[in-house]
Amino acid sequence: MTRESEWQLALPLTLAYAAFFLVPLGLLIAVSAFGDDRITTLDGAQWRKFLGDPFTWKVIVDTVKLGGLTVAATSLIGYPLALVYLGAGPRWQRVILFVVILPLLTSVVVRTFAWIVILGREGVINQAVLWLGVSPAPLRLLQTEHGLVIALTQIEMPIMLLPLLSVMSRMDPNLRDASAGLGASKWRTLVRVTLPLSLPGLVAGCMLVFASATTAFISQFVIGGNRLVYLPLIIWQQSLVVYNWPLASVAALTLLVSVGLGVAAIAAAGRRGRAYAV
Amino acid sequence: MSHRRSTRREFLAAATVTLGSLALPRPALAKGSVTAAMYPGTWEEAFRAHVTPALKAAHDVDLEMTPLFAVDQIAKAQASRGAPPFDAFVLDPGPRVTGIERGLFEKFDAKRLGNLARLPAGMTDEYGVTVAAQVVGIGYNPKKLPKPKSWTDLLKDPWVSRLGMTGFQTTYGTVSIIEIAKQFGGSETNVEPFFVEIKKVLPKVAAIGAPASMPALFQQGQCDITYTNTQTVATLRGRDVDIEFVKPESGAVAFFTTMHITRGSREQENAYKYFDTVISAPVQSALMQPPNNFIPVNREVKLAANLPMASLDEMAKFVKHDWSKINPLRAGWIERFNKEVAK
Repeated sequence: MTRESEWQLALPLTLAYAAFFLVPLGLLIAVSAFGDDRITTLDGAQWRKFLGDPFTWKVIVDTVKLGGLTVAATSLIGYPLALVYLGAGPRWQRVILFVVILPLLTSVVVRTFAWIVILGREGVINQAVLWLGVSPAPLRLLQTEHGLVIALTQIEMPIMLLPLLSVMSRMDPNLRDASAGLGASKWRTLVRVTLPLSLPGLVAGCMLVFASATTAFISQFVIGGNRLVYLPLIIWQQSLVVYNWPLASVAALTLLVSVGLGVAAIAAAGRRGRAYAV
Repeated sequence: MSHRRSTRREFLAAATVTLGSLALPRPALAKGSVTAAMYPGTWEEAFRAHVTPALKAAHDVDLEMTPLFAVDQIAKAQASRGAPPFDAFVLDPGPRVTGIERGLFEKFDAKRLGNLARLPAGMTDEYGVTVAAQVVGIGYNPKKLPKPKSWTDLLKDPWVSRLGMTGFQTTYGTVSIIEIAKQFGGSETNVEPFFVEIKKVLPKVAAIGAPASMPALFQQGQCDITYTNTQTVATLRGRDVDIEFVKPESGAVAFFTTMHITRGSREQENAYKYFDTVISAPVQSALMQPPNNFIPVNREVKLAANLPMASLDEMAKFVKHDWSKINPLRAGWIERFNKEVAK
């Protein structure tokens, strides 16, 4: 096969993307430009209404903040686990990988509803809190941002760990041995050798977690309830409850741009981190 | 090299066939079937157990079900005009009015229903047929709270600190909030008093949840009182949850679930047979039994003791709402609810 014709291999996927992503995206942009829910007048009124409302900006900030907090929590908890994986023998590596993948075998709906049982007033955490005497009354965990971040941290953990572990497993162990042999402390080896080498995996994990947490409608709505309003809830309300598709399209595009900017920021931070390490 | 070329060709051919098959029109349904949109959960299970075999036995028609909530049915039908994804709707009053306004239904001829005479008056019109009733009131845990009397009790101590709420996304949530607003001087078209009152107690409210999560929140003790329908109460009781249904002093709310033929459906004949089976006395009677707990509409069905009425005629005394007035206001209410309750 010649090099010139290799692009043809990408043709089926390109066509599928064009048909099932670009065309709907174009439709979404077109619908968002209409001003009324019957899609008759083309005046961009929904954009003005949506972006001119201070509440919208609060929702955008909250959505991005939720993604940021989840990324922070998953990387802080996930990275040490990845280090354990790095130091483990092949058998334990397989065990860790299996445990990491295990939650993915359960539907996100089931995992989310399980968190109601865990975080609820009479749930496991509150029973422990009351038994230990940490608090005289049950803590309010459901329908709070920290409760939602706790749940999303568990729900999103596999997609943080999978890219991280895949990069870790390809890392040359001689480099860390060399660092130690040359007199570097464990911390110095971690900061100057392991972390920079694992950065691509960490950045990929952060991007995936950010995109997934900000758009996790089921988890956001079931655990956050109506007290926590994020962009996916507005898209659902507008498209499926009141059938205002132009406004739903505006909210969807706003979410797309917000997530896109967040992912771009993580990628930029990753590049700067590598530049610093070198 | 030639081997690799042929592999590529095969791969491309397979891919083209796969993609092409997706684009092909849906093959015509086998003769003797009808595709019905169906509420997921209790409804779908009950229909699979009772309606599917009854329809097959009576008319040799196969029932295929597409699980969709009412609002999703309207959205889907609207998005696929000319190629309806199902032949029959099952809807609550709000989405029903939207469907009528947007011309999503075929004209309905009630005379084609063999069981028409067994329905109370007014259960059919030119758009469709009523197949079940829903009664909305207050559900509470008698082991944790005293019995509430009225809608206003929900916003008072000790109930408010154990209250679980939903917004205007569902029919039962919307009518309950309207009823609360009425007690404070509001009306079907004015829920402002509700917003004024809820603002005073908002920090105390135990849960403001997604509609689908309310039964789980109640079961887990996150809330011990909520507005709900008799069917949910009966279903939770069936799972040994401590919950009682209370008719508020101002009256419980009743609304009807209706079925409609999708505009452009090619199985209209079978859709009528399907509706006729659903409203037939044996099926209605089976649907009323636990764990289904439907409220029947067929006069010949002897009502179960746990229903909030002794006869179907009592339904006339229940509070009802005009959804053609509510629908235009709902978008604004939902937006307002988001802003008022969001932290």
